[in-house]
Amino acid sequence: MRWQNRARWVAVPLTLVILLFLLFPFFVMISTMIKSGPDVYADPPHWIPSHVEWSNFVTVWTQYDLASYFLASLIIALGATVLNTLLSVPAAYAVARLRFPGRKFAMYLLLMIEMFSPVIVIISLFKVVAGFHMLDSYGALIILDALFTVAFNTWMMNGYFKTIPKDIEEAALIDGCNRVQTMTRIMLPIAVPGLVTVMIYAFIFAWNEFLFALTFISSKAKMPLTIALYNFVGRWTTQWQYLTMAAFLALIPVLVLFYVIEKRLVAGLAGGAVKG
Amino acid sequence: MADVPLTLRQRIWNPEARLAYVLLLPTTLFLAAFMFYPIAYVFVMSFFKTNKLSDLTKFVGLGNFIDRFEDPEFWWACVRSLVWTATGVSVKFLAGMTIAILLNVKYRGRKAARMAFIIPWASSVPISALLWQWVYHPEFGLLNHTLKITGLWTNPPGWLGSPLPAFISTMWVDIWIGIPFFALVFLAGMQAIPVELYESGHMDGAGPVRAFFSITLAGLRELILISTLLSAIWTFNDFNVIYILTRAGPANTTNILITSVYIDAFTNLHFDWAAVQSVVTFLILSLVSVVYARFYFRQENS
Repeated sequence: MRWQNRARWVAVPLTLVILLFLLFPFFVMISTMIKSGPDVYADPPHWIPSHVEWSNFVTVWTQYDLASYFLASLIIALGATVLNTLLSVPAAYAVARLRFPGRKFAMYLLLMIEMFSPVIVIISLFKVVAGFHMLDSYGALIILDALFTVAFNTWMMNGYFKTIPKDIEEAALIDGCNRVQTMTRIMLPIAVPGLVTVMIYAFIFAWNEFLFALTFISSKAKMPLTIALYNFVGRWTTQWQYLTMAAFLALIPVLVLFYVIEKRLVAGLAGGAVKG
Repeated sequence: MADVPLTLRQRIWNPEARLAYVLLLPTTLFLAAFMFYPIAYVFVMSFFKTNKLSDLTKFVGLGNFIDRFEDPEFWWACVRSLVWTATGVSVKFLAGMTIAILLNVKYRGRKAARMAFIIPWASSVPISALLWQWVYHPEFGLLNHTLKITGLWTNPPGWLGSPLPAFISTMWVDIWIGIPFFALVFLAGMQAIPVELYESGHMDGAGPVRAFFSITLAGLRELILISTLLSAIWTFNDFNVIYILTRAGPANTTNILITSVYIDAFTNLHFDWAAVQSVVTFLILSLVSVVYARFYFRQENS
């Protein structure tokens, strides 16, 4: 349409201005992570570093145990992903395909759980985690991170299972496959895109998780990135050049993964009202 | 074959139902231990006085609730939660809609722009909050520096240090994170609206503004409802941004309901107060989730 042509002349410059505005903190991050210490605390501050301090990249690994925090985050996130998948995929199959009393109730319960902030149960979770002797352990974070995405992921997988025609499954059942076989041999392979989305979502959630790590992890050796970076601020003068460098490195995996699932995530969140 | 009514036993104990129970069992067990029991326990705790180790010491009935309801600070936290959520969602909605409209215009580089707009949402919330803390730094932060050298604001505030600027600047970080969700959902919705509708609208003499209100917005109705509801819940529940940026300070001025639970429990060691606030928050969220669920099931059934 004609006004689309004219709209372009407004849209492009406006988009650029808004982007410049919204990406501001990331420009600050990039500017700071290549500065030297005196540059970071220069008065007045300046955007362009007086020289590029490449050694910041080395320092965060050698002097600040970044590798240890990355490893902790990786263990927790992978653990949570595996546990979450083992829980939510079978549950999703049950609610999508099987008739049983209480099915609606189960769906409703999952939806409610999705609304909850873990903060409202954090005081009693502390007792539960202590009761299982899991304070300051990866186990606690793996379980909790996995559980707080179970509801969403079950809903997502439920949606994927439902799009698979029942005929395919019924044909297999007639051919002598049992339910478990139809699930592993027929349903899951077709639902692979959904499975990938669900797994990545669980991974990202655990990688970014802050509250549980803040509350349950006390030893430095087990700290994931989020808490390690948080603790880095405020002690003495914060060395923002290292913090921003570490933040940059910690963001790369989640940004990449987010782009993989972004469209399907939006579709899932909008409740099937838009197509992924 | 006519449907023979199943007996109760047949309905709850047939092979298909049994398989469903087995598949749901692991999730149920985990949820029972780490979600249902903790929720129940918070309710129990709200009726007891607790000591600094969070042990229950004395049953006081509704005593804790009365205590909290008589404390103005509790009501302030509620008011802040309301302002925080209402303002936050409105700004996110409007900004998201604007960006969706801009991204719906076809031009080269649109895909790249779309990817760039996602970054604040894709980024890790705790890390974003830390970055903003540095951005807001009163003396060495590049925000105030940029405001000064461009002449936009020659005497900017210290942001996180004083009450009102702290509230606004933490709220902005929450808004900033939430904008892309609206933008992407609305964009997806706009792209699902058939072009023919616009073409026939154009034939009928509708200009772009008319077309936006009567075709675009009308087509997005369902999406607007569901995404606003979701965003309201997330905004209301935003603990990370506030805790990381201000720890609910200065002098509690950024303390909303959800942060007051944590601060009362783990900073003030007032677990009974925290339990009351948990229960109140739980009830509010349950109410909202009923609305959400009704909407969601209507969609699932249609």
